Amino acid sequence: MLDRPPSCNSSNMAGQEDPVQREIHQDWANREYIEVITSSIKKIADFLNSFDMSCRSRLATLNEKLTALERRIEYIEARVTKGETLT
Amino acid sequence: MPLVTRNIEPRHVCRQTIPTTIRSELECVTNISLANIIRQLGSLSKFAEDVFGELFVQAGEFAIRVNTLGERVDRLQVKVTQLDPKEEEVSLQAITTRKAFRSSVTQDQQLFTRPSLPIPVQDTYTICDPPPPLNQLSQYRDDGKEALKFYTDPSYFFDLWKEKMLQDTKDIMKEKRKHRKEKKDNLNPRTLNPRKIKTRKEEWERRKMGEEFVEPKNEMMNSSEGLNGSIGSGEGFNSENLELSTNSYAYDPSSPLPAPGPDDMLPPPPPDVAYNGGQYGTPNQKRGSMLSPTHPPPAPPIASPLPNSRPNLSPLSPPPAPPPPPPPSGFGIPPPPPGFDTPPSPPPLSSSPSAYPSPPAPPPPPALSTVSPPPPPPMPAGGGPPPPPPPPPPPGPPPPSFNSSAAPPPPPSGGGVVAPSSAPKPQPAPASDARSDLLQAIRQGFNLRKVEAQREQEKRDTSGNDVAAILSRRIAVECSDSEDDSSEFDDDEWSE
Repeated sequence: MLDRPPSCNSSNMAGQEDPVQREIHQDWANREYIEVITSSIKKIADFLNSFDMSCRSRLATLNEKLTALERRIEYIEARVTKGETLT
Repeated sequence: MPLVTRNIEPRHVCRQTIPTTIRSELECVTNISLANIIRQLGSLSKFAEDVFGELFVQAGEFAIRVNTLGERVDRLQVKVTQLDPKEEEVSLQAITTRKAFRSSVTQDQQLFTRPSLPIPVQDTYTICDPPPPLNQLSQYRDDGKEALKFYTDPSYFFDLWKEKMLQDTKDIMKEKRKHRKEKKDNLNPRTLNPRKIKTRKEEWERRKMGEEFVEPKNEMMNSSEGLNGSIGSGEGFNSENLELSTNSYAYDPSSPLPAPGPDDMLPPPPPDVAYNGGQYGTPNQKRGSMLSPTHPPPAPPIASPLPNSRPNLSPLSPPPAPPPPPPPSGFGIPPPPPGFDTPPSPPPLSSSPSAYPSPPAPPPPPALSTVSPPPPPPMPAGGGPPPPPPPPPPPGPPPPSFNSSAAPPPPPSGGGVVAPSSAPKPQPAPASDARSDLLQAIRQGFNLRKVEAQREQEKRDTSGNDVAAILSRRIAVECSDSEDDSSEFDDDEWSE
């Protein structure tokens, strides 16, 4: 009876520890799961921010091009119209 | 302080107190964390909706602009194909009569106002405590201002800047008008410049003998000035200016002799200008009416440049700030000259257009109580002609008292002055009989001006913050100190 291998001790003692250990193992697993989820949430948030910034910068360059085009068109219209804009 | 634009609500997933009645704490924590994660996902979706919403709105605006641009390009295409090089207008009339091309540059304004805050930040602000409801006390105020504005006013700095800009534009326009007037006036007295130079040489020669000998000659000149009594008349005015200029040299030996500007009647040493501005700002505004015995000499002789003595003290305009130089020079001389200056002033004033400040000097004489008895006899005679010049020059703000245009009625307004009032009473009585109609007209004029001021205020109130663009244009007016008459007239019409 006393010649049980140590492993038997753990398996016998695990009658008390196993549920605790299981619980702790389970807790670790849960925490890892939660960690995965939160890190992916952070990644989504980062993606949204960077998407927002890049979109704004692209829209700003678009805006500049649009204003430049508008000014050129105004100039061309003024050149082309023959005295129609007399006040 | 940087504010976070979008926040994901439950910041810490696991930090929550666990109810103590539970056995399996680890599971409890896990479940709580999972619930918080779900809440975070909810706020994340709101965050994403915000972001994409703003981007969508901007992209939509650009789409509209692109469409209009496309249409314009199509129209231009059609027009260009219709162009015929032979039909080009070669006539000169076409070149001059065509409307000049001006590219319209839209300036962004009202960028950082409350309404332009992104929605999530506005939500953050709404979470904060509002200011106390002090506006409930506004009904008890006499001056009609909102009570909350004394506690917190978000538009305070904008209003301040607005007022400053309006004032600056008005000052600049006044200065330009003055320049014009001075140029017109200077056409006549330009022949006096050689005279000034000569007197300077005389001054230097006198000083060679030693400064001790300078005084007697000045006294002689002052007495002659008093006898001439020539403030308004052409020659007397010039001679007095020359004498005052020499007086300034005599009594400011430390200050360097300032170069006489061709437009300046009295060359002001620049440091004195700045120094005396603060001191003599208010008396100069009152145009010599509230003259203390030391200050009378400046007001009567200096007619035309007086109106804008105050704004001229700002570094913007170099030329005329005549009132300051006489005070430093006049300290040694003042008592005798005022007695001589003021009585003879009105008769010669009639001849000069720039005479208007002097009539105020005699009528409200509370400060000149010692001098008042001599003036009354000559006053009524000279009282008639001067008043017509006074009404046009004075600007809008109705004078509380003592100002030239409201000259006759003020004796009642100067309630504290009873003893000298007996002396002025004979003056205004006969004067008012002669000018009662004018007085009534003047009063009505003031009433009219008050209404105009109210209308201006109403305009400002209704136009609101669109004025920002107009104000930026006014800054352009400030910067461009061009003297085009046409542009000045345009500004005058536009501002009024």
